[in-house]
Amino acid sequence: MALRRRTLLASGLALGAGFTSGCAGKSLDTLLTQAAHTPRTPATLTWWVSEIPARNGPVVADLIIRAFQRRHPNIRVRKSNALSTTDANRAAVTTQLAGASPTPDVYLGDTTWPAQFGANSLALPLQKLLPKDFWADYPPALRRVSEYRGAVYALPFFTDSAFLFYRKDLLAKHGLPVPRTWEELLRTSRKIQRAGDAAYGFLWQANVSESLTCNVAEFLADADAPVLDHAGGVALNGPGAERAFALMRQFTETGVSPSTVTTYVEADSQDAFVGGRGVFLRNWSYAWGNAADRSVSKVAGRVGVAPRPGFDGGGPPGVSCAGGWSNFVNPNSHHLGAAVTFARFCAGEEAQMILLKNAGVIPALQEALTRPEAHKVGDPTLTMAHELRLVARPVQTPYYSQVSKALYTQGNAVTGGRTSPARAVRAARDDIRTALEGRAL
Amino acid sequence: MTAVPSAATASRDTAPEPAGPRSTPAPRDGGPARTSRRRKARTGWVFASPALLTIGAVTVFPVLFSVLLSFADVRLEYGGFRIESLTGDHYAAVLSSPEWREALLFTFGFTVVTVVLELVLGTVAALVLDRLGAARGWVLAVLLLPWALINVVAAQLWGYLYNGTYGGLTWFFEQLLGHQPDILGQPASAMGAMVVVDVWKTTPFVAIVVLAGLMLIPDDVYEAAEIDGANAWTTFWKVTLPQLRPIMAIAVLFRILQAFGIFDLPFVLTQGGPGTATQSLAILGYKTLFQNLEIGRGAAVATTTAVIVIGCCLLFLRLFKAQADEGGRG
Repeated sequence: MALRRRTLLASGLALGAGFTSGCAGKSLDTLLTQAAHTPRTPATLTWWVSEIPARNGPVVADLIIRAFQRRHPNIRVRKSNALSTTDANRAAVTTQLAGASPTPDVYLGDTTWPAQFGANSLALPLQKLLPKDFWADYPPALRRVSEYRGAVYALPFFTDSAFLFYRKDLLAKHGLPVPRTWEELLRTSRKIQRAGDAAYGFLWQANVSESLTCNVAEFLADADAPVLDHAGGVALNGPGAERAFALMRQFTETGVSPSTVTTYVEADSQDAFVGGRGVFLRNWSYAWGNAADRSVSKVAGRVGVAPRPGFDGGGPPGVSCAGGWSNFVNPNSHHLGAAVTFARFCAGEEAQMILLKNAGVIPALQEALTRPEAHKVGDPTLTMAHELRLVARPVQTPYYSQVSKALYTQGNAVTGGRTSPARAVRAARDDIRTALEGRAL
Repeated sequence: MTAVPSAATASRDTAPEPAGPRSTPAPRDGGPARTSRRRKARTGWVFASPALLTIGAVTVFPVLFSVLLSFADVRLEYGGFRIESLTGDHYAAVLSSPEWREALLFTFGFTVVTVVLELVLGTVAALVLDRLGAARGWVLAVLLLPWALINVVAAQLWGYLYNGTYGGLTWFFEQLLGHQPDILGQPASAMGAMVVVDVWKTTPFVAIVVLAGLMLIPDDVYEAAEIDGANAWTTFWKVTLPQLRPIMAIAVLFRILQAFGIFDLPFVLTQGGPGTATQSLAILGYKTLFQNLEIGRGAAVATTTAVIVIGCCLLFLRLFKAQADEGGRG
């Protein structure tokens, strides 16, 4: 029996070793040659795409696929429905890609992924396949997050910007202006709360997830406190960072935000706002469409939108985290040429205009936002987008998810009152340093 | 109290010897009989090989491969991956990480608390069920409902109840306490909330296992206890419980294995938060592997978890055996 067990173990290990040596990679040049040409023969692509928020009802991804197939009748695109949260999506897609699966051929991914995916060979570097002036029409912040070590790993699709949504009716009732500073927002909130007109003042996202990292990145930018320095080392420190963390605590301490905000992701904060429980909401642009939809929103018609406030005596208001989704090409795809053609189509004018007219997101092509069609849509987030000061999260490290974890873990602790702002800043700084050194779990 | 051991021994002794035709005795010399036996053995291997290969492919290989990865420096590359070196670095990183220690502490605490609660409540439920007459079937069906629910669905259900905005339980406590409690937002209450869900979901499993054990206890043991003049408490303590011990051990072992690998509850309810308060070892492994793409380190988390849980089970079995032996001698 012992002998048999040993034999079994040995054969398992031998199998493992054999499997390992059998997984040698392919040359990048070969892949790029394949990717450089749009095929003339029929091909079927799989596009991993999460639900793109729609403004009028039609499924936006289907409209884009139909438009693409009209241009390229020999290429069929099949939709593969992605999951609803960024983190779950990444886990699902990386499992497939790390196993060298040829599908999905093209996948829609978060703008925080390129460095990590590029460093792990999960996305095809595309810069050699693009014309030199390709990025001229897209926001510079989007280009910065799409590159890692000089290579482009994602093509722009749409951006998401953060806004301050507010209850027009409540501000009008109390004769108060839309706050331009956080201090003003706190005062306004407390006044309306005391009058019994709303349970809460400010609703935002402080759950232990990427949602909170976006909020923290914005508060830090409001306080002019960088996370990383120019050399890529940790810069988070000092009174600016503490001011940002102290504000997060102040919201819950004063009851302007519910203590349960520490469990909120975007959907929870939006539910509370459209249910009429809050005066202000920080959320992505798509919340405009949902707040105005009478079938889900109790406050439809009574909502206004403005850039996020800033600190009193600090930088200008209107900071927004550069969020959004881009298309990545799977290097293991059997149809690399078709995949690149499709990803480029999604970044191009025709697809971007479909997004502008039908989707509750901001097209990545900046020029689209200045067209008359943008005004006709009647969504103020589209026309206001150019006023925002976009800040990128510190994504240009393959250890970004550990860096993000350091920010959201401490942000959550300080908001929940379990640590002081000064201690949270110190702990986040230490954790980020450990992450950047590649030592964090 | 001599009745108990003697009854137990009696029941063991009465087990009949297996009767029936014995297999043909092996011939002493070689020859046709031996060749036929070899042929039979070969046929046996041929028939067993698909099953062996399947077990090898789905059990042995992934486990060994995961152990191999936990020592390896894995580099993903276009169209595959490469193992660059084999070291113990990942274990050093994992074992020295405060996050791992916190996850271990939470997982261990969660396992101990839930297993103890489920064992006590499950036994009480089983004793009640054992007394029920015709209604037992119905009560059993209702009791088993939580156990039959898929874990993620159950977690999501409770997630709605605990939700800070519109959760039923949040509303209930708000009426009771006068302020909105932050159930999943504070470490202690989030852990408590998770224990409640697990106990709600898994107590029926323990109850049904213990009930099966109760039904197996022969009536004459109780009669003997009654003749000896034992009251209800003594009967339970000295008769029922010792008889239930082996089956309870099985239930506890199953529960240790499941509770130690807890993933779906914290994943759905808190994502491991607030902070890292409810981050189990399984969640930490998942985040390390799938969010951070640290394949070797993720495998090291998984392997250390497996080693710890096996260690816990072996320790439990040894303690259980020692106690059973002591009980037998006493």
